[in-house]
Amino acid sequence: MNRKFTLIMLGFLLLAMVTYAQKSIKGKVTDAANGTGIPGAGVSVKGQTGNAVVTNSDGSFTINVPSNNSVLVFTYIGYSSKEVMVGGQSTINASLSSSNQQLDEVMVVAYGTAKRSTYTGAAATINTEKTKEMPVTTFQNALVGRVSGVQVTNASGQAGATPSIRVRGTGSINASNEPLYVIDGVPVISGNAGQMSDYTLATVNVMNTINPADIETITILKDAAASSLYGSRAANGVILITTKKGKAGEPKIEFRTSLGLTPSWATDNYEPAGVQEQVDMLYRIFHDYRTSNGYTETVANTYALTQLNNKFNRHGYKFSTDGTGLAEQVLIKGMTDGLENREGRYFDWNDALFRTAQYQTNDLAVSGGTETTKFYSSFSYTKDQGRVNINDFDRFSGRINLSQKIGKFLEAGTNVSFTRSSQTGFNDTRNTGANYFMQTRNLLWPLYWPTDYKTGQPFTARYGSLAQNNVYYDQQWDNQTITKRIIANQYLQANILDGLALKTVLSYDNSQITDHVYYSALHYNGQVNSGSVNEMMTNYNKLVSSNTANYSKQFGLNGLSFLVGFETEKNLTDYQRATGVDLGNSELQSVSTAGTVSSNAYNWGNSMVSMLSRLEYNHNQRYFFSASVRRDGSSKLSPSTRWGTFWSVAGSWKINDENFMKDLTVVDNLRLRASYGTNGTLPGSDFGWRELTSYAIKYFGQPAGLLSTLSNPGLNWESSYSANIALEFGLFKRFTGTVEFFNRDTKNLLLGVPISMTTGFGSTLRNIGEVNNRGIELELNANILNKNGFKWDAGINASFIKSKVMKLYVPEGATKSNDIIWNDPTGGDARAQFLYQEGKSMLSFYGFEWGGVQQTTGKNIYYKNGADADAKDFMHNGRLATNDFNKANRVIIGDGTPDAYGGFNTDLSYKGLSLGLVFNYKIGGDIYDGAYKDVADDGYYWERIRAQSVYDNMWTPENTSGTLPKLDGNDLTDPMQHSSRQLHNASFLRLKNVLLAYNLPKKIVAKIGAANARVYFNGTNLLTFSKYKEADPEVGNYSTRGWETPFGKTYTFGLDFSF
Amino acid sequence: MKNIKLILATVLLLSTVACKKFLDVTPSNSADANKAVQTPRDAQIIINGIMNQMTDASYYGRNFIMYADAKGGDMAVFSMGRGLDALYTFNHSVNNNNYSGFWSQIYFCILETNYLLEQIAKLEAAGATGFNISKGQALTARALMYFDLVRLYGKPYTQDKTSYGVPIVLTRLGFDAKPLRASVDDVYKQIVKDLTDAAPLLPKTRSDGYINYYANKAIAARVYLNMDDKPAALTAAKEVIAATGIYSLYTNANWVNSWSSQFGSESIFELKVNPLENDLGTGSLGVYQRNKGVGTTSALGFFYASTGFLSTLNAGGNTDIRRGIMARDETSASRLGSCYKYSGGIPDGNSSSSKMPGDKSTNNNTAVNIKVIRLSEMYLIAAEAALPTDALAAVGYLNAIRGRNPSLLPATVATINADMILEERSKELYGEGHRFFDMMRLNKSITYNDEFGGLTVSQRTKTIDRTFYKTILPISQGEINANPGIKAQQNPQY
Repeated sequence: MNRKFTLIMLGFLLLAMVTYAQKSIKGKVTDAANGTGIPGAGVSVKGQTGNAVVTNSDGSFTINVPSNNSVLVFTYIGYSSKEVMVGGQSTINASLSSSNQQLDEVMVVAYGTAKRSTYTGAAATINTEKTKEMPVTTFQNALVGRVSGVQVTNASGQAGATPSIRVRGTGSINASNEPLYVIDGVPVISGNAGQMSDYTLATVNVMNTINPADIETITILKDAAASSLYGSRAANGVILITTKKGKAGEPKIEFRTSLGLTPSWATDNYEPAGVQEQVDMLYRIFHDYRTSNGYTETVANTYALTQLNNKFNRHGYKFSTDGTGLAEQVLIKGMTDGLENREGRYFDWNDALFRTAQYQTNDLAVSGGTETTKFYSSFSYTKDQGRVNINDFDRFSGRINLSQKIGKFLEAGTNVSFTRSSQTGFNDTRNTGANYFMQTRNLLWPLYWPTDYKTGQPFTARYGSLAQNNVYYDQQWDNQTITKRIIANQYLQANILDGLALKTVLSYDNSQITDHVYYSALHYNGQVNSGSVNEMMTNYNKLVSSNTANYSKQFGLNGLSFLVGFETEKNLTDYQRATGVDLGNSELQSVSTAGTVSSNAYNWGNSMVSMLSRLEYNHNQRYFFSASVRRDGSSKLSPSTRWGTFWSVAGSWKINDENFMKDLTVVDNLRLRASYGTNGTLPGSDFGWRELTSYAIKYFGQPAGLLSTLSNPGLNWESSYSANIALEFGLFKRFTGTVEFFNRDTKNLLLGVPISMTTGFGSTLRNIGEVNNRGIELELNANILNKNGFKWDAGINASFIKSKVMKLYVPEGATKSNDIIWNDPTGGDARAQFLYQEGKSMLSFYGFEWGGVQQTTGKNIYYKNGADADAKDFMHNGRLATNDFNKANRVIIGDGTPDAYGGFNTDLSYKGLSLGLVFNYKIGGDIYDGAYKDVADDGYYWERIRAQSVYDNMWTPENTSGTLPKLDGNDLTDPMQHSSRQLHNASFLRLKNVLLAYNLPKKIVAKIGAANARVYFNGTNLLTFSKYKEADPEVGNYSTRGWETPFGKTYTFGLDFSF
Repeated sequence: MKNIKLILATVLLLSTVACKKFLDVTPSNSADANKAVQTPRDAQIIINGIMNQMTDASYYGRNFIMYADAKGGDMAVFSMGRGLDALYTFNHSVNNNNYSGFWSQIYFCILETNYLLEQIAKLEAAGATGFNISKGQALTARALMYFDLVRLYGKPYTQDKTSYGVPIVLTRLGFDAKPLRASVDDVYKQIVKDLTDAAPLLPKTRSDGYINYYANKAIAARVYLNMDDKPAALTAAKEVIAATGIYSLYTNANWVNSWSSQFGSESIFELKVNPLENDLGTGSLGVYQRNKGVGTTSALGFFYASTGFLSTLNAGGNTDIRRGIMARDETSASRLGSCYKYSGGIPDGNSSSSKMPGDKSTNNNTAVNIKVIRLSEMYLIAAEAALPTDALAAVGYLNAIRGRNPSLLPATVATINADMILEERSKELYGEGHRFFDMMRLNKSITYNDEFGGLTVSQRTKTIDRTFYKTILPISQGEINANPGIKAQQNPQY
């Protein structure tokens, strides 16, 4: 086989040489900016398909041309291409200047490629050259702030967490707001995978299996013209990932290694008050509890001290006061009846539970090829140890991308990647026992120690505030998720006739997620059943078969291209679980040692059949038109509604090519494009339309069945209708930019609607209304300076997007539609409440309107907002108000949608040295702080610690201008209510990324035998500016903050070599 | 070229033909709901599902039992914020601590009974037979569920039977259904009808873990007692008591140990809790009644016996055998404030590493069956029901239980009274989910032992009676949001 293959290859090479060996041209391709050679640039002969070479490491090349009339074309990604007539020359040097415009960049789009300058849809491309130094385990995190109209958010700073991407706002309420991911032309599995979110409440991002270093470009399809060819899954945008390919030329070896350290968080995060302040605050609560219930100060003082002693004596501290007042400073003394006297010493839980995070990556890639065979192979190891002691991620990944031309007509290719990643996660939700972050800010008093002061033994009881001694318990449990993913993707393309290409693609994407959760018999979660272990395997299978025929031909000035295709997709998830309790051995974490075991195994899935077509036409490369139609049938809907048709039309006009623009030489480019089209979104659940009886439980060791769904057979797609108008411009050969306006109406919105619980269910999936997303996206790039080797570029992007609920359908039998109240799903802790109301933003925070603190009493004030008047009401700021939230009406109190968001960047380079800065920002909108209620508690959770800001700002009889209410001993539940008290301005500006790099001089590099060598420093999240100071302002897409692990400041050092 | 065309055409054709089947996907653990019940065994499997769901934490698994004990005055909270203390403090509002889990979980269970009954009706209409037992069980279970719901959300029958009860749902509802509340009286009528319809269908043999004829009668006895229909309550209770072939009272010698085993001689209806099936672990009933830190650090010492209850139990020189299921609480080694009925007995130590006996000789000390109805209760119901008409019989029934404290003088026709029976119920059924409902139906006031934990409770007074509006739960905001018509039927003052 191998020999035959080589022979064929040789044959072709010979043939090529014989055919074209008329004249040999030598030369060098250089960078116009600094005169250095450009390796890897393409040199081809115009009109002679296949006659092309690639420059060597110093930029030199040799090519054969048929005649003196030949024209050589020089191309390099990111540079303007150049054409040179051969004439009599035998040496041709070309200097290429970089094109910031990237106008003629060929980009990957739906079912093919397109030239940026002629593409009719709205799409953004990100070249990973720009992002490769960022210490991220997933490419998604590198997109923050880089693309207009695309909001990348990560609620958690945990290693391995799943970011969320919103393309042009929120078009859906149902779980399916994430874009569709397509790798090398084939849709793949994405999102949170496995079962760990049910156990440790950490997410496992299956896209972590894609090594960012293997990605060549990412294209984000934003409008219907770009994405409607993906039909029913594309309403929320499409992210196309293209992996690296080999280039013809000498084999290239690239090696990269980097080390990142995260010693601290990016911002303050609910910094707790000091020990003395904490003790004084608790003393106040106890004291107030007695005095407010009619007891004397002396009684209150005695009571408060007794309570303090009750709580902390056993941790080695005792308390006294000089006087009996509320404002006493409590004296903290050590107990003397134990092994140690802890007076004056406190335990630093922060230090014990967090560490300096380490990020490490090593990539090795070998690529190369000939005109007929190209290969790219890579191997990479990445390790990311989070700030939290038990949060580790590591990944091995390997990839081979191979393409081969066979004969005259056929081309075949295969992309295979294998990844094994392992993640140890940590509870990221509002969990008192297992969330370190919450524990150190809210639960673990510095008065608590991990050991008993009397015996020196580990302290195993729960601490007073429900916190657990995780210094000890972390030895008693274990969790691990191992993801093994294989994506194999094979294509065969036949270029049969002039312009007709048939392509068939078969792809198999398999992700096997193995979850392991173990609690020893000593762990608090394992005590009741003498230890437990869970082994789970979730195997996601996605099979895609796609057959397309593409015909394109130029008729004089008219270009035509037509695509038809047929596609099927099958998704099947296999699940198995084995659980054992009553474990036989305290060292072994195996189900086989268990006294009682249970297991489960079943599968679910969905499938889809699609037909697609697209027509593209252009006249004189000036007027462009395209149209597409796709028809999808999905098993997620009932036979009566399962087929949907999606279409788009688009056009563009290259205005500056018109005669009347000829004299306007300052305008390098002016292009108008517009599109309109439809897309769909399928329900998130596979079986929402079916009435099912499930057999997932047992009773008495026997099977048990339950009617498990309340079906809605009329369930339909969400359909979206998007319009897009854009103007692209280039001015003074220096500025380029795009102004883009879009409008997206989504109808038949899917939502799990609350229904009367008398039906047996709390909600059912229904098509309930219509939303609108509209906005403006701006992108401006400037080539500010390019002189004497000194180069300065800058770019800014901004998105102004509004998402509104337009219509809520009137339920049958009702006269008006119901507003829908819903809880923020992040963390599952209902930290914030939202309201869908016609005409209002999709992220309208709902709750009581807090009016601040009553100066005379220190109590909370709430505006009545129309609630029935009451004798205890009073006027506040000219409005009727009350101290009792139960007597007030809830209203819309804020909006989580920012007015604008985006990023800006600037790159400076001089000779080998370069400095790049990337900022991301958000302007306007509100952030709802669902965690501050815990650290700024009014006295309900007595044993919790409070933030320094509470101590500084609380109302006291001495400080009646305090902005936070009085600490009260009567269990006020005010902070737990959803109210504007927890609402803050969400604006922030963050220096997301700094890159300082130095290309070592060639002379030095050559000594170690390398072609290129580069050292760099990368800093992430180094600076943050925000009005909201309590915690990190960069939050998830619901604009709420909770107890998720915050982001850290990361310092990365790296080395790049290529040989 | 030709070949390729042919292949493509074939592929297209084949794919289109296979489309319909290709797009019909079901999960491998679920079946079409309208075809899932075909045989009596299928029906029994749905009954298994219903029994499983009755052991949910929001129902008999924990909260429903705790509801009546936390509110009944026999239990007290030592420190607030440990869990479920809103029950004790009556800190309920439409939005907060509304315990809507009762509403949603019980209606979910009702849906399952309705589903099964509909499927059986369909099959029986087509001539199938053999579904009597399942049908009787589903009807009886539904009656019990409505009985529980109406006591949580409606005023006691003896207080105002015309007031709002709960919506009566007897069929599968569509997602847009918005049923409104029926009167307490109507709900009780439906309960009695279901019980009456079910009785002849049920077997008179023991059926551990399931409802049989006597469970039906025992529930009926409870229901009639709540309706103050003493003759009917007596008849029903007597019928269960008479089934001596299958049920007998625990002797004083084996009363304590009865908690360490399942399906004892008194068990008329007992829900099975198996490890890894429906065991609630650290959230189980047993953990909520234990001393702090026993068996697990998650045992926070949620509820302890009130001082008043303990003095009743300790009366007569600490000889009451029922003290044997109580053990120390966190306040003192001598105060028997912790109850181990649902831990399967008292552990050998008093720390988180203590081994609980459990009732299944496994190490899962939280997988303890829920004893929904015991024979002792039938004696006490019979005593109460017989008292006005046949004091002598009442004395007989009461003394059978009262003898569990040998140093107490047996009741006589001269000394017996309703309070004596009520006190016996308190001692015998402590921790089993009765006290509050007893106090409400009998219009007694409840005085809480707030001084035990030094608590100041602002949501209620130290003593309450059934005129206090929070003795019934609010219809939750969630239900009102989805079913706006029910807002006008909200319980008064909420």
